[in-house]
Amino acid sequence: MSIVNHFPVLAVVVLLLFAYLMPLLMRWRKEWCVPATLGAIGFSLIASLYMMWQVMTTGPFMYQMGSWAPPWGIEFSIDYLAVFATMTITIVGLIVIYYGTQDLLHELKEQVMGWYYTLYLLLMASMIGMVLTNDLFNMFVFVEICAIASCGIISIKESRECIEAAFKYLVLSAVGSGCLLLAIAMIYMVTGHLNFTYVAQALPQVMDLYPLNILVSLALFLVGLGVKAALFPLHVWLPDAHSSAPSPSSAVLSGLVIKVYAIAMIKLLYKVYPPELLGMAPIMNMILWMATLAIIIGSMFAIVQDDIKKMLAYSSIAQIGYVFLGVGLMSESALQGGILHIFNHAIMKSMLFLSAGAIIYATGTRKLSDLKGIGITLPVPTIAFSLGAFAMVGIPITNGFISKWYLALGSLDVGRPFFAAVILVSSLLNGIYYLPIVVNAFFGEPEGAVAEPRPLPRQMVVSLILLGSGVILFGVFPSLILGVVSKAAQSLLGLL
Amino acid sequence: MEDIIVRYVTRIILPFVQLYGLYVVLHGHLSPGGGFSGGAIIGASMILYALAFNLSAGSKKLSHDVSSALESGGALLFAGMGIFAILLGTNFLGNKVAGIPIGTPGNLFSSGAIMIITFGVGVKVASTMITLFYSLIEGEDHSHDHD
Repeated sequence: MSIVNHFPVLAVVVLLLFAYLMPLLMRWRKEWCVPATLGAIGFSLIASLYMMWQVMTTGPFMYQMGSWAPPWGIEFSIDYLAVFATMTITIVGLIVIYYGTQDLLHELKEQVMGWYYTLYLLLMASMIGMVLTNDLFNMFVFVEICAIASCGIISIKESRECIEAAFKYLVLSAVGSGCLLLAIAMIYMVTGHLNFTYVAQALPQVMDLYPLNILVSLALFLVGLGVKAALFPLHVWLPDAHSSAPSPSSAVLSGLVIKVYAIAMIKLLYKVYPPELLGMAPIMNMILWMATLAIIIGSMFAIVQDDIKKMLAYSSIAQIGYVFLGVGLMSESALQGGILHIFNHAIMKSMLFLSAGAIIYATGTRKLSDLKGIGITLPVPTIAFSLGAFAMVGIPITNGFISKWYLALGSLDVGRPFFAAVILVSSLLNGIYYLPIVVNAFFGEPEGAVAEPRPLPRQMVVSLILLGSGVILFGVFPSLILGVVSKAAQSLLGLL
Repeated sequence: MEDIIVRYVTRIILPFVQLYGLYVVLHGHLSPGGGFSGGAIIGASMILYALAFNLSAGSKKLSHDVSSALESGGALLFAGMGIFAILLGTNFLGNKVAGIPIGTPGNLFSSGAIMIITFGVGVKVASTMITLFYSLIEGEDHSHDHD
């Protein structure tokens, strides 16, 4: 039996292993920390690409821990959605930490660098575990690791705002975790199973006996995962947390962490809960309205911000709305658009945060009004920022256009053109706050620190170029990723 | 604080506490408890020692550096046992199927890899408790926590 058969678990365990190795390396072999981190995430990337190839050629498969068959053992389910998410997480995660190896040097104290890599690897491992797992309680464990590690990479900067933001996040996400645990307990009470497949089989049988338990569990899942994914009325922790953290943390938190909870929600709604139950309560409509409010109000909040990272953080609230819009519409194209937006937004938002980080690194300012003429003195981050801004607005040949297109098509498919109008309005709102920055950056007179920026290290430039070419590549050739996305959407809707 | 009663009582009960902790860890597969509870007992005994005699005496027995190294070691042992099963040709964390000898049920050595994993968890929990205690106590002057 060769090692490639164990890639599903190794993609998680190698990251965990290196996370625990990092404090030891930091003590005795400080210079090995960076290569070890990059190597571990690189290994996960190779593993996830191999799993993707395997799933696309031979179909989804399961991996059983300790060779214990379910319902006794814990399973990893390697299906289309899982490989898509794993690939997104590892690609973006690798690029962000490659950037971070330089950026963190000036944002963090030297003694905590090793701990940052530990937390980052734990975060990556927990996210991959969360998308791969086929077990409710296992999912809860990964959710907890993810929450703690996210708080860690925010508060590690040890400034006043960071600690305050991390504490707020910790408290709210603990409330979310409590909801999740209660929901899992309710499911276990009525079905006696924790494995997704077995729960999905048992739920239709017990639905008439215990309708309330199941509905309450669904509501608790929605609240628990909604708090963590920053779905609109539950988003209050996000702007502070994502804007005060070090730039690589902001990039990974905004780009990946909030999406992982959306994927968990997709798995629960489409794979675990029976479709008849979704008819008993207007849960999909509730998700739709929350998403609509998120899209509109998130963009409105973003317009009035003058801090570049705070504006990006509010924009994330709007963007997670798109993902949930795709989930709630229950049509194939919309679900494709929602899932695709997870990938596209991961690329563009991490690029935006990283270019904002590069601008802050080079000039020391985070105020939008100070950034006049930055395009002349700092071309690479500004062009990357502009590309990201165009993708956010949804201008064709950027990847943001593709996902918005699919979402709009989906809303027309189910005969609800209102949501297509919402997408249109929000694109205009995005234009209102992104485009003036771009115009100012290229057609203003540079003054002060903006006129003479610090030179950027190679790692930052390379990461920005990689992400920027990703935005264009997946905008011009969306079929590269649409293959797995449409398979994922079809298998979730039971069309495959 | 110099308190003769606390020091004397600590000196008497400490070996029993630690022995009991070790017993709970090693009998994790047979009796209630296991790596976490046993590790917590051992960790608490070390904290008791550092509280009764002062901090410098406590860190002479087990320094902050050693306890954070043990913390990594315990977790690495767990992950290592999982990967060991892969090397033996079964899935991650395989135990009996991987050919690890199981022994007679009910005996102390009757769970194959589980006992080693529980021991790893015990080491991890005990050292984590001590590390947390040191971090809190050292507070201001420790490099991890503040300027």
